[in-house]
Amino acid sequence: MSSVITSSRDVSASAVQANQAAASARRRTAGLGIIGVLVLMALPLVAGGYWTFTLGLCFANAIAIISVSFLVRYGGEVSIGHGVFVAAGAYTVALVEKYLGLPLLVSLPIAACVGALLGVIFAFPSRHLSGIYLAVATMALALALPEVLLHFSSVTGGYEGVYVKLDALPGLSKELQRYYLPLAGLVSVSILLRHFRRSRQAAALMLSRTSPHAAESFGVRRSWARLSCMAMSAGIAAIAGALLSFSSSTVSPNSFTLWTSIFLLVGSVVSLYSLSMFGALIGGLFLTMMPMLLAGAGNWVPILYGAALLVVVLGFNALPEAWRNRLMGGQA
Amino acid sequence: MADLIGLIWAGIISGCLYAMGAIGIVLIYKSSNVVNFAHGNLAGLSAFLVFGFTAGLFAEMAWGAAVLLTLVIMVAVMAVSYLLIAPLVFKSDLTSTIATLGVGLLAQGVTQLLFGSSVVALDLPLPSWRARLGPLHITAYDLAVLGTTMLAIGVLYLLIERTRIGIAFRAVSANPFASRVCGLSLRRVHLFSWVTAGLLGLVASLLIVPTTFLSSTSVASFMLQAFAAAVVGGFNSLPGAIVGGIFIGVIMNLLSFYLAAEFNNTYLLLTMLVVLNIFPKGLLAVRGGLRV
Repeated sequence: MSSVITSSRDVSASAVQANQAAASARRRTAGLGIIGVLVLMALPLVAGGYWTFTLGLCFANAIAIISVSFLVRYGGEVSIGHGVFVAAGAYTVALVEKYLGLPLLVSLPIAACVGALLGVIFAFPSRHLSGIYLAVATMALALALPEVLLHFSSVTGGYEGVYVKLDALPGLSKELQRYYLPLAGLVSVSILLRHFRRSRQAAALMLSRTSPHAAESFGVRRSWARLSCMAMSAGIAAIAGALLSFSSSTVSPNSFTLWTSIFLLVGSVVSLYSLSMFGALIGGLFLTMMPMLLAGAGNWVPILYGAALLVVVLGFNALPEAWRNRLMGGQA
Repeated sequence: MADLIGLIWAGIISGCLYAMGAIGIVLIYKSSNVVNFAHGNLAGLSAFLVFGFTAGLFAEMAWGAAVLLTLVIMVAVMAVSYLLIAPLVFKSDLTSTIATLGVGLLAQGVTQLLFGSSVVALDLPLPSWRARLGPLHITAYDLAVLGTTMLAIGVLYLLIERTRIGIAFRAVSANPFASRVCGLSLRRVHLFSWVTAGLLGLVASLLIVPTTFLSSTSVASFMLQAFAAAVVGGFNSLPGAIVGGIFIGVIMNLLSFYLAAEFNNTYLLLTMLVVLNIFPKGLLAVRGGLRV
């Protein structure tokens, strides 16, 4: 009996130590994060319009990549249709502006809700099934979207798309708004996810992912976990879409094809499914910058992305386990 | 009425091709739990190879020789694609499925590099025979598709029921762990299913091309219907893939004729969602109990 008590005391002592270590590590990354954000905030002072524009898009893409990574990490599922949820957000912002004349700050929450609702609608039929059904359904969704957008062209503007012109923040130049709003979005999404990771909800989702039957016996229903996971992920994707449409000032069906969705997944893999700001930024930079660096070599883009995907996935798998855990941050 | 019968007939013909694509996807999924999203791009690449060998891009061969040569190349390509993702297959279904997307992107890129993104026509060497049977118009193409599908399915059936590798395939798809304990090589079974899937994909894409055109994406988008067929039939069932393929072929034809033609992918999506709601595990899946 006494040995049990001492060993449990040992355990709690080492747990306290581990907690302290984790807390100090967390403080360190938070410090680095703040420095990084400050650098990014100061960047428009030195960089030209081209860079602020590109980086604005890159931040929005990074949020979309986070939404894909979220689904992989907490749901253990692949979506090949996240471009559709991004498009839902983008079109919501554009249409709210076109018909109601309201700016981004009003339409952003609406966009998030629209995205989440759409996510639930498409996850619902496959809520009891394995993730492949969701993956194929999302792939069909991605292919169906341009057809639907073009058919309702009186509302969606057809091939031309819709423009997003209204200012969101008064007193700041358009160029800077298109940089700072996506940055603010990225920072707040990653901070929210940081808090989310320590919540009961996240623990329930993780349990349902790693051991569905154990989760069921604790009262976490698998179908519920899957739906909520998809709703949150699609909501984040819609936020990304809203900011993307604001930064690029236009939305059109061309920017949301099946390729968009596949490339988002590539970005998520390249960022190692990171939910942190800088992990996602690496994926976002890769997605946004690579085609530009390779301008004129369009046919090489699929090869490059495909190779990057394989190299990251296979290379990561070849690493020793301890390294892998470190790279994944030992978390969700 | 005559319309309806003709539409159903045409639907069955294209459904046979979706079924062949779906069988490939299901074979791979059953043996290794990997959903091969590269299937369409690899099949598209193979159709382009036949085009390249017959149209004088690489060589000017007779059609039969070109197909044989492409068959050999496809065996190699599928083996390489499997070996690329082989290190992941036993680690995580999710990661290996993502890796197949990488393979698909590579296949797509190679196709574009070698053949450009232009649209080409690739015909089958068929006589221009046609006949009327009541309301049915039957062409040599229809019979070729039906005959080839039945032959392919028959050969596959014999392969799976009668040969050693087929028995191994059934054992592995029923219980991988027990099969490994019994000394079966899972890798060999995986390789068998990848290569067979690739060959079925080649046959299906060659047969589908005369009805559309061949571009670097056309076969890949045709494969969406194969995926839909696999979903409708239940991802785990080979007969389900055939039933699902024909179901998808017929229903797509009817919907695009009676409603509107430009919504093909939307119909596929809706069909999948409806079927998943009514038959959660596909039309032909056995509903098993939950094991803890």
